[in-house]
Amino acid sequence: MHLFLMIGLVAFSIMAVLSRDLLRSAINLAVASIFLAIIFFRMNAVYAGVFEVSVVAGLITVLFITAIALTRGDQEVVENKRHLLIFPLFFLILVIIDILVMKNLLGKIPAMVSSETGTFGEVLWKQRTFDLIGQIGVIFAGVLAVLALFRQGEKNHHGGKE
Amino acid sequence: MIFLFIIVPLVLAALMPLLGKISKRFLPDLLANATMLFLLVFSVISAKPLIANGGVIQQAFWFGAPINIRLLLDGFSLFMLFTISLVSFAVTLYSIDYMEQYGAKANYYALLLLMIAGMNGLVLTSDLFNIYLFLEVAAVASYALVAFGQGHDELEASFKYLMLSAVASAFILLSIAIIFGLTGGLGFGAVASGLKTLNIKYVVGFCSGLFLMGFGLKTALVPFHTWLPDAHPSAPAPISAMLSGVLIKVSGVYAMMRIFLNVFGLTPALTTVLTVLGMASIFVGALAALGQKDIKRMLAYSSISQVGYVILGLGIGTPLGIIGGLFHLFNHALFKSLLFLNAGAVEQSTGTRSLDQMGGLAKRMPLTAATSAIGSLSIAGVPPLNGFWSKLLIIIALVQAKMHVLAFLAVLGSVITLWYYLVLQHNAFFGKLNDTWKSVKEAPFWMSAATVMLALLCIIIGLVFPMIIHSWLQPAADVLSSGVAVTLNFIGF
Repeated sequence: MHLFLMIGLVAFSIMAVLSRDLLRSAINLAVASIFLAIIFFRMNAVYAGVFEVSVVAGLITVLFITAIALTRGDQEVVENKRHLLIFPLFFLILVIIDILVMKNLLGKIPAMVSSETGTFGEVLWKQRTFDLIGQIGVIFAGVLAVLALFRQGEKNHHGGKE
Repeated sequence: MIFLFIIVPLVLAALMPLLGKISKRFLPDLLANATMLFLLVFSVISAKPLIANGGVIQQAFWFGAPINIRLLLDGFSLFMLFTISLVSFAVTLYSIDYMEQYGAKANYYALLLLMIAGMNGLVLTSDLFNIYLFLEVAAVASYALVAFGQGHDELEASFKYLMLSAVASAFILLSIAIIFGLTGGLGFGAVASGLKTLNIKYVVGFCSGLFLMGFGLKTALVPFHTWLPDAHPSAPAPISAMLSGVLIKVSGVYAMMRIFLNVFGLTPALTTVLTVLGMASIFVGALAALGQKDIKRMLAYSSISQVGYVILGLGIGTPLGIIGGLFHLFNHALFKSLLFLNAGAVEQSTGTRSLDQMGGLAKRMPLTAATSAIGSLSIAGVPPLNGFWSKLLIIIALVQAKMHVLAFLAVLGSVITLWYYLVLQHNAFFGKLNDTWKSVKEAPFWMSAATVMLALLCIIIGLVFPMIIHSWLQPAADVLSSGVAVTLNFIGF
């Protein structure tokens, strides 16, 4: 079952990368994310699964699709086709390396240790307090980046579009 | 108290967009510069005495109650904080005049302060996951700052930087996840003691490889350097100075060295990899810089080359090598920011970055030309400027470690550096004044003030380098050369 889920995750991720249609790409990404969420659930990472479904598969897909709907595809972009050849090649090499390395490596990894225990809230608020400051910083940087890059969006059409 | 290093820029960054509504220029300029000056003075006057007897851990409080935020201040982190604050102060001073052309100054300062908060957080934490988080804070702010000009090249460079940086973050995060799975902890102390009892050198080797790729990308070590020559020249000049001067060193060199030396422990294999990568960076960067016609692009390639020296020195792992590497890190932060700020002044006055179109600018911009000459001679390692002493220390350390070939190559790299900086100086400032630039004026007051300050520092540090080594570098190098022992013996790490 796990193998099936993993193959689904990887297959839909690849389709998301290779698809030239943005809308199809966003939907492929959402499906890949649902596969990942199921894997999280099956591995008892319930919170990670919930966030994956609600935020990544749900919210972000909605944002992507809204953004795509707001853009106009008024010009044909001529693209290099090389990626169609290079990507599978690299992917194959990566899979081979992954299988070879991980097979050896996993045998050498001792049983996982767990020391930081407690409920989700306890871990987040009491044990990882400093992370919260960092998270605030990251979100804040994102907001300020949007403010800075989309300034004079009307005047500077180029900047706004990107 | 050392929490102020993070919280002051973070809070100011939050207030900046609001202050920008009240006053578009004066308040943002004043507050950003005051913050930087405060952090600089704070690191010298208040933080320095704290580590008189070695590293300290400080607990943060929220309305009198202790919270689980504990910050580590030792010789190495204080040295980095001082470097960040010094360069940031010069950069904010320069921005007063330079950023007028871009508009949205409040937003600019907000992002800059956030980047500084991110770097300070990274330097003060003693936890692997926090390193990743604060790395991202600084990185997200820097993507926006690179694209701040909103032009096509800026956006393309920023996108490239974002993509490669995301790959770097993925490697770093994967390695942290594996280590957490193995040791059950994320704090430096827990990880170091966990790895010591487990005896799993292959897995540690694998994680080291991931960190090397991740932090190598952030540092722009060859062969992970391709994003830097696009990103650094595209940014506004003060941001180029920040990125080349401190960001690549904090998010790359500092994080990598802290983990490799104090948490994993330096192995002979790692020494070999680091010295080889350092040497490759020295030559690839220097040879690529030789062929550049764009002044900022030449400086960007030069950053790759000079960071190679830093990695080479630190990678040797001997006490002298570490001092040399750290000293070069500090010196490079000074002269590379100086050179980028000068390049910005030239670009602002002439409207071009092409060295072919410049010439004879020294007649019209004497201060910029003089400070640029000091920066160039210093980076090329001409005595008695600061760059000479740091390179000399690295070369002596290489000879002491019986790496004679590497020592010879390091000297050769320095000769190439001198060559391309002479080309830069000659093409931009010397020779006959191009008729197009007859009406060019010297850079405005604050821009010149920042470059003169950095140039004076290059000279002064070259003259009093034993004092700098004794008071700032030795405590930092002691932490690194003690290796894992300092982490294991330090309760609360």
